Amino acid sequence: MAAAIRPLGWLALLAVLAGLGMAFGYAPREVVQGNVQRIMYVHVPAVLTAYLAFALVLVGSIGYLASARAGWDRLAAGAAELGVLFTGITIVSGSIWGKPTWGTWWTWDARLTSTAILFLVYVGYLLLRAMVDEPERRGRFAAVVGIVGAANIPIVHFSVKWWRALHQPSTILGPEPSPIAAPIAAALFTNWVAFTLLFAYLLARRIEIARLEDAAIAGAVRAR
Amino acid sequence: MPDNWGYVLAAYGLAAAALLGYWRHLVRRARALVTRRRTT
Repeated sequence: MAAAIRPLGWLALLAVLAGLGMAFGYAPREVVQGNVQRIMYVHVPAVLTAYLAFALVLVGSIGYLASARAGWDRLAAGAAELGVLFTGITIVSGSIWGKPTWGTWWTWDARLTSTAILFLVYVGYLLLRAMVDEPERRGRFAAVVGIVGAANIPIVHFSVKWWRALHQPSTILGPEPSPIAAPIAAALFTNWVAFTLLFAYLLARRIEIARLEDAAIAGAVRAR
Repeated sequence: MPDNWGYVLAAYGLAAAALLGYWRHLVRRARALVTRRRTT
């Protein structure tokens, strides 16, 4: 697996450059919002990547509780770290987008509030991991939070449907066909692929480092 | 609506800084592991 990480990194970098080219060179200026709408090519792929990350936390957590194999725990821990990173990017880019379009950096709207809660739940997950030293207990406690925390993902996604919100409804991943113009959709799709590849690369590196750290700790324990 | 390029640059810049920062953090952690292995 380690040998495949570097090519994946180069592929992710190429995809990010292609995404930037699509966002600034191919996608047209949006008629109503102007160029500030280009923030969407960061904001939407970031939240989709965060959903993917937290779904992997759920998978890793269930896998760990079922098998007690450390590999599942490393997957969950790495995915949670990246999920927090991408949710942070979502919140900050959304806030920056909100100021010129809504007139405010932040509002306690259902989508924004549920995303902030999602962020805090997984920050809590990482703090919990940092507080428990014994690996098996840490894995078990974290897995429970990882499973419970995943319940927030549908709440965030459907919040714009369930409650009256300032945030616009889903224009992708919704039941209706997407109303987005083809060039904008193409730029969004390219950036979504780029973010997913970047996520896969960073997660693979993170898991590999955790595996080597675990091996080093096991080696040190055996040497005593 | 005005184009607000400053907001666009801020959003892309902060996202890039966060991702690069995390990548650098991983690179440093990997290097520290290699160094620790050599010394033990």
